[in-house]
Amino acid sequence: MQADRRRINAPAGGTAAPVFTFTGNEDLLQRPTRTRKADEHRKIFLRTKVVPSASGSAYYEIPPAKSTSSNGNLVPAASNLKITCTVHGPRPLPRNAAFSPNLLLSTHVKFAPFATRQRRGYIRDASERDLGVHLETALRGVIIGERWPKSGCEVVITVLEGEEDGWWGDQQQGSEKSGGWGMMSVLAGCITVASAALIDAGIDCVDMVSGGTAALVRNPESKTEEVVLDPSPPEHEIKAACVVAYLQSRDEITEMWMKGEVGEGTEFLTDQAVKSAMMTRTVLVEAVKEGLEVEGAVESFNGAPKAAKGKGKDVDMTD
Amino acid sequence: MANGTTASSGLSFPRETFAKLTPGPYLHAHLKQPSSIRPNGRQLDEHRIPTVNAGSLTHSNGSAVVRCGDTAIVCGVRAEILLASDLPHPPPDDLDDDDLVEHLGILVPNVELSTGCSPAHLPGNPPGPLAQSLTYRILALLHSSDIIDPNDLRIKHLEANTDEDLPDEGPRQVTKAYWVLYIDILAIALDGNAIDTAWTATMAAFQNTILPKAHWDQDREMIVCSPRLAEATGLRLRDMPVASTSAIFTTASPLKSGDQAESWVLADPDGFEEDVCAETLTVVLVSRRDGTKSLLRVEKSGGAVVTTDLLARYYQYWVTSEAHSALA
Repeated sequence: MQADRRRINAPAGGTAAPVFTFTGNEDLLQRPTRTRKADEHRKIFLRTKVVPSASGSAYYEIPPAKSTSSNGNLVPAASNLKITCTVHGPRPLPRNAAFSPNLLLSTHVKFAPFATRQRRGYIRDASERDLGVHLETALRGVIIGERWPKSGCEVVITVLEGEEDGWWGDQQQGSEKSGGWGMMSVLAGCITVASAALIDAGIDCVDMVSGGTAALVRNPESKTEEVVLDPSPPEHEIKAACVVAYLQSRDEITEMWMKGEVGEGTEFLTDQAVKSAMMTRTVLVEAVKEGLEVEGAVESFNGAPKAAKGKGKDVDMTD
Repeated sequence: MANGTTASSGLSFPRETFAKLTPGPYLHAHLKQPSSIRPNGRQLDEHRIPTVNAGSLTHSNGSAVVRCGDTAIVCGVRAEILLASDLPHPPPDDLDDDDLVEHLGILVPNVELSTGCSPAHLPGNPPGPLAQSLTYRILALLHSSDIIDPNDLRIKHLEANTDEDLPDEGPRQVTKAYWVLYIDILAIALDGNAIDTAWTATMAAFQNTILPKAHWDQDREMIVCSPRLAEATGLRLRDMPVASTSAIFTTASPLKSGDQAESWVLADPDGFEEDVCAETLTVVLVSRRDGTKSLLRVEKSGGAVVTTDLLARYYQYWVTSEAHSALA
């Protein structure tokens, strides 16, 4: 591979992630367990207006659960989802661009190099592009694009910390089964955070879209299968999972992604994912309301300009 | 120019419009007031106070989020292993310890601005000139400051005697591998003065970086690490350099001779001031254990306002100022 001359590269010998040994430390090899109910969502932290220089922005986080504290283990038990999203636009398309009667939406999803257990590169890989496309379909259905002809809008998402694909101990013990389940929760988070940022940017939408996930999991002890909302992959043995982007007030789904062996329960799994999206929506509504209160909702609805950013006194401008 | 506040309302602009149309005169109008308050409400020498939130990333050996006004930068330090046997050019035996880090290139900082942090740096492009220059400035600072003890990054192994060795020799200590620190610096929000904030974030991330206890496993012929938190060790930082950037606004132009021009030094410039000012000055100071402070690096670009006199005066100010100790 050709070295990237615009960045500092790894030393010529190549590096490898540290390998941990658990001989004599078996007590540290503990799988996290789900402590919430099957139809309970993890707590979500969502806030808008985190990036002042962007038209709209939001930050989404699923804080760590208490049961997954480190217990003296250097290897983290589970990941906490942390996503930031900024929206730039709507702004005029460049002069050489072809005429477009609608708002041109472009989405960009990138994982930070330290987002996952395996260090990621700076160039977008296939899974990140895939997430971007999924997100674009989810958002395209809500934006009223006809109101901005000849304009473009960019939704940029940086995943500071992603969801895990499975329990790290499974890889430690040599079993190679990672279904890429982490992507599902990341996509649901991306949809919710992008929706909050779009509203913060003041782009007209038909409704607030929210993302939700549900998964069909197998209980290793009772050998039964059940459907849980908002699965955290390290805690479960996932058979199938589903993500939806759901508009509650119109009862519409703008994006659906299902993976794995579902069997006959396709409809039920989708319904549960929708239920999860409805839970996320309550958080989204609160965050958007909070953002409007900060701005002084009345003023912005009357069309008055936003409050001046500078706090300095007015000075005489005559020269 | 706008007729100001006294003119009829039809011709006067609100502040933001004036700032956008003619940023230079707008800044000048603020600075030429007797009290010289900047448009952002700060005094000339007033810094934004950074807030540091350390250790929030799960998958990093050390991390920090630093927010300084409207600039927010997250830094994650990740340690990986470089086997000494994989080195194409092993370090010569007579190499000075301080040069070892640079020779091996085991500190790998990268600054990424294409995270949507500002409309000027949109993703999908390779790192622009600003990101590249920030990366190299941080790399140069890391190398010149020698804050990391190379012994912290060595993974050593006591090699038992073989038959070929002299029998009276004890076991030899050899360096089997090195820790490589990937320092990934991402801007979440950008409003001027990226270098100071990025450097503060790097320092704060180093402060809580822990390396697992690693040893060479003779049977598996690889480095293995202990997962116990209690056995891991932190990095020993030799000192804590602090970067301080100022921008210089001047009314001088090629048409105006230098002595007629006025100039102001603005500490910790925000994005608006950075765009207007051509000249910037970055000073990196080190405070030694005995309390004395010394210069580690001075960078100045653009313009010709900063003279050696001015530099000496500001150096005195920086050394006495306590504004930079916010990190500790």
